[in-house]
Amino acid sequence: MQAIELILRRVVLMIVILFAVSFLTFLIVHVLPGDVANAILGDLATPDQVELVRQRMGLNEPVLLRYWHWVTAFASGDFGMSLAYNTPIAPLVFERLANSVILALISLAVAVPISVALGVLAAMYQGSIIDRIITGTVVLFFALPEYVVALMLILIFSIWLGWLPGSSLIPPGGSVLANFPAIVLPVTVVTVGMLAYLSQVTRASMVAALRANYVRTADLKGLPGYIVVVKHALRNAMLPALVEIGLNFGYTLGGLVIVETVFSYAGIGQLLMMAVQSRDIPTIQAVVIVIAAAYGIGNLIADVISIALNPKLRT
Amino acid sequence: MSQQATLTVEHLSVSYDAGDTPLRAVRDVSFSIAPGEAYGLIGESGSGKTTVAFAMMNYLRGGRIEGGRILLQGQPIQDLPKSELRQIRGNKVAMVYQDPMSSLNPGIRVGEQIAEALRYHGIADRAGARARAVRLLADVNLPDPEAMVDRYPHQLSGGQQQRIVIAMALACEPDLVIMDEPTTGLDVTTEAVILDLIRELRHKINASILFISHNIAVVAKVCDRVGVLYAGELVEEGRVAEVIRRPKHPYTVGLVASMPSGTDRSQRLASIKGSLPDLTKVPQGCIFADRCLISRDVCLAERPPAIEVGPAHISRCLFPDEAQDVIQKAEARVVAPARAAGPAETVMHIDDLKLWYTRRRGLRVWHKPQPVRAVNGVTLDIEAGRTLAVVGESGSGKSTLARCVVGLVPPTGGAIEFHGERLGGRARQRGVKTRQRIQIIFQNPESALNPQRTVGEIIARPLKLYNCVEPSRIDERVAELMKAVNLPARYASRYPHQLSGGEKQRVSIARVLGTEPDLIICDEPTSALDISVQAAVLNALSDLQARHGLSYMFISHDLGVVRYISDRVAVMYLGVVVETGPTEAVFKAPHHPYTESLVAALPDLSGNGEKPEVRLQGTPPSPTARIKGCVFASRCPRKVGAICETTPPPVQNLADGRKLACHIPVDELARLQGAVPAVAVG
Repeated sequence: MQAIELILRRVVLMIVILFAVSFLTFLIVHVLPGDVANAILGDLATPDQVELVRQRMGLNEPVLLRYWHWVTAFASGDFGMSLAYNTPIAPLVFERLANSVILALISLAVAVPISVALGVLAAMYQGSIIDRIITGTVVLFFALPEYVVALMLILIFSIWLGWLPGSSLIPPGGSVLANFPAIVLPVTVVTVGMLAYLSQVTRASMVAALRANYVRTADLKGLPGYIVVVKHALRNAMLPALVEIGLNFGYTLGGLVIVETVFSYAGIGQLLMMAVQSRDIPTIQAVVIVIAAAYGIGNLIADVISIALNPKLRT
Repeated sequence: MSQQATLTVEHLSVSYDAGDTPLRAVRDVSFSIAPGEAYGLIGESGSGKTTVAFAMMNYLRGGRIEGGRILLQGQPIQDLPKSELRQIRGNKVAMVYQDPMSSLNPGIRVGEQIAEALRYHGIADRAGARARAVRLLADVNLPDPEAMVDRYPHQLSGGQQQRIVIAMALACEPDLVIMDEPTTGLDVTTEAVILDLIRELRHKINASILFISHNIAVVAKVCDRVGVLYAGELVEEGRVAEVIRRPKHPYTVGLVASMPSGTDRSQRLASIKGSLPDLTKVPQGCIFADRCLISRDVCLAERPPAIEVGPAHISRCLFPDEAQDVIQKAEARVVAPARAAGPAETVMHIDDLKLWYTRRRGLRVWHKPQPVRAVNGVTLDIEAGRTLAVVGESGSGKSTLARCVVGLVPPTGGAIEFHGERLGGRARQRGVKTRQRIQIIFQNPESALNPQRTVGEIIARPLKLYNCVEPSRIDERVAELMKAVNLPARYASRYPHQLSGGEKQRVSIARVLGTEPDLIICDEPTSALDISVQAAVLNALSDLQARHGLSYMFISHDLGVVRYISDRVAVMYLGVVVETGPTEAVFKAPHHPYTESLVAALPDLSGNGEKPEVRLQGTPPSPTARIKGCVFASRCPRKVGAICETTPPPVQNLADGRKLACHIPVDELARLQGAVPAVAVG
């Protein structure tokens, strides 16, 4: 019951946050100085064109009323019309979101086991040469910007070696999964980016767990080393690491603008980039909220998992 | 010894790396434990007793065995490879730890934590191990063992957790059980029950016990023989009763004399001057010489040999027959000034004080939150120049009461009057003069002193804050205050981390004295300190009271300390005072059943636990529970019936000035308790 209450509280909090995000996004584009219609059309627009856009977007109504209309429409699945593509935004966003989710899940599926393994190894041999090599390497990769890693990989694997496609362009209507080689490089770049953070978080909580008295108890029961590490230490160390993984899930969904752009991957980050370039304000708003929701859901998943793993919260 | 000893330790030395020179934590320690024997190892913090305990398992993090041998049934274990050590750990040698909460894995059911050792040592299969875990839980007297095996540690009380740890240690029927301060973190009544359990198990199991403790009285209760460790050396060894009655090493003498429960309150406690030597530079002579009151030049020349001073009694002192003289020579041992008798003026009157915390929750869908009734209607008087002790176990609300009195938390209800004037709830609502006159000393001097300031600055701070003296006289006043608490003047420029625990607490006292308070709230001022250091702090408090006519409210869980320091005592349980009265009267014949159990739980130095004693079972109810009747009813060994659950007990006033809240008339209580004689302490 305590667990259900906790989860409910997180859900309510998430909804509150989404409202706040939506209001802020709405305000930023509608209340900031300068006329939105002008901003969309650019300097060369005629007054008639401006008026037309104003009417289409309902810009002549009071701000709060506009916000209300927008939110209620949004909640019923009507995200409005994209100004750049002149199509409804909702299907566009969801198709792109699906692609980003695939990229995120595959990247997490690769990154999590590797970083947990590296983190555990580094913690077990804390201060040793193994620890220093692992920590040094992941920090080095962390320090490299994503586009540098991406361009290096494209240079090596697609231009020099010609093993993998350098672009992840998928034909319209085609499935990402059917074009598996196309996503190997983007997955690698995302994984490398996550590795540093996740492995260091795992390492830190594992170091603390290995020092804990209950690990000493397990050792002095005469249990084999792998049981002590996996059953006694890692189980408790995973709790803080999981929260980070949940946060990374949100980041992967929303923050892959650079990776998706470099590889021309049709994800939500690339959509955001294009919407910003073409001043497609309704699409920007929709994408921002979807990304915020993705962050929230990622966190929620992490919370649910940590509640499930933590008997103090579960029972 | 005819039989082969279970454990033989020969000339054991252990070092830790500490910068350039190793810290020689344990040096040349030898002892042996016979099958079925319980051997106690006592010492203060830094004595190396825990190092010895873990060395028996060859488990020394950052330390290494420099020399000597550890023989388990004749087999040396110090050089065994890891795989063979694993066969021994948990199987032949098992351990019970100081802090059961942190020693149990929070994420694994307790039954599994017991059963896994049985499986990995090949003693039982999955089903068999579980069944055995259930039996073990029954052996350690846990209720409903079938259900208990599936609990998680956080669902159990501290005492239950320690029973789990004991069950875990006994699982593989080891030959040796090492108990490292197994009752130190527990409440007095829980400690008593756990010690009873250990005594009981000794007859059932066939294991030898190595029992590590800082408390001689606890060791006296469960052990046959005792070794006294000081700064890494075994300075005395013998039968427990013999060592306590006729200690032959000056350190042991000081240790026994500094225990408040072993001392008459008209006497002063004998503290041991100075502090532990630096073990990176071990002196060549007697290790205790620099703190010893009977040491001579010859003591500094070389380490005294182990001298046989009685049957199976050895001491590493060149003058064992003069050891007792240190009590006479202890400068601290001046007979305390006679306590004033008769009525005294009331400094503070606490009237029906309540402090309820309401738990804040985001969603209140299912239930209305119940407030935590930390202090639930306390009425007390503090008399001028006297000490009122407030005793109780953890969760009794005694510390919350202290925080309320100084104005750190505003009360929910009731009133506090100071010199007849009603006080505001928060300190800042009180006048400067009032704040200045009510001061508090905190439990942990480590965290109560600002590490960035020197001792002089710390003591000067309140002087400036309250304009106690002319700015030009501050240094002079700081020097006076330091002298008042026996701190050398050179300490003024030192930082807290350069001081020992007892010295830090004396800085706290000096800081408080600067404001010339009328009333000092002492919140467990010695519970973070070693016994010999505690003695010095208690002596300082006594002295200052006699000299300045200070009044104290002394919060403590330690009945021995309370009996030594206080004039009146109030016993708290679950936010309520159940009995109050003159200390000696209450301790000689505790009438309230809770006080009775508390006093009975106190281990004494006599070491014979043969007398029947009342013991508390179970745990206190949740502080959020709404209790209609007596707060103690759910655990009361003398409960009379439904009335205890339904009606608040009447307050009975006794001729000797005592008040107690119980449904049983006091004559009847006295009669019942006559049949079960209350334990006299000391």
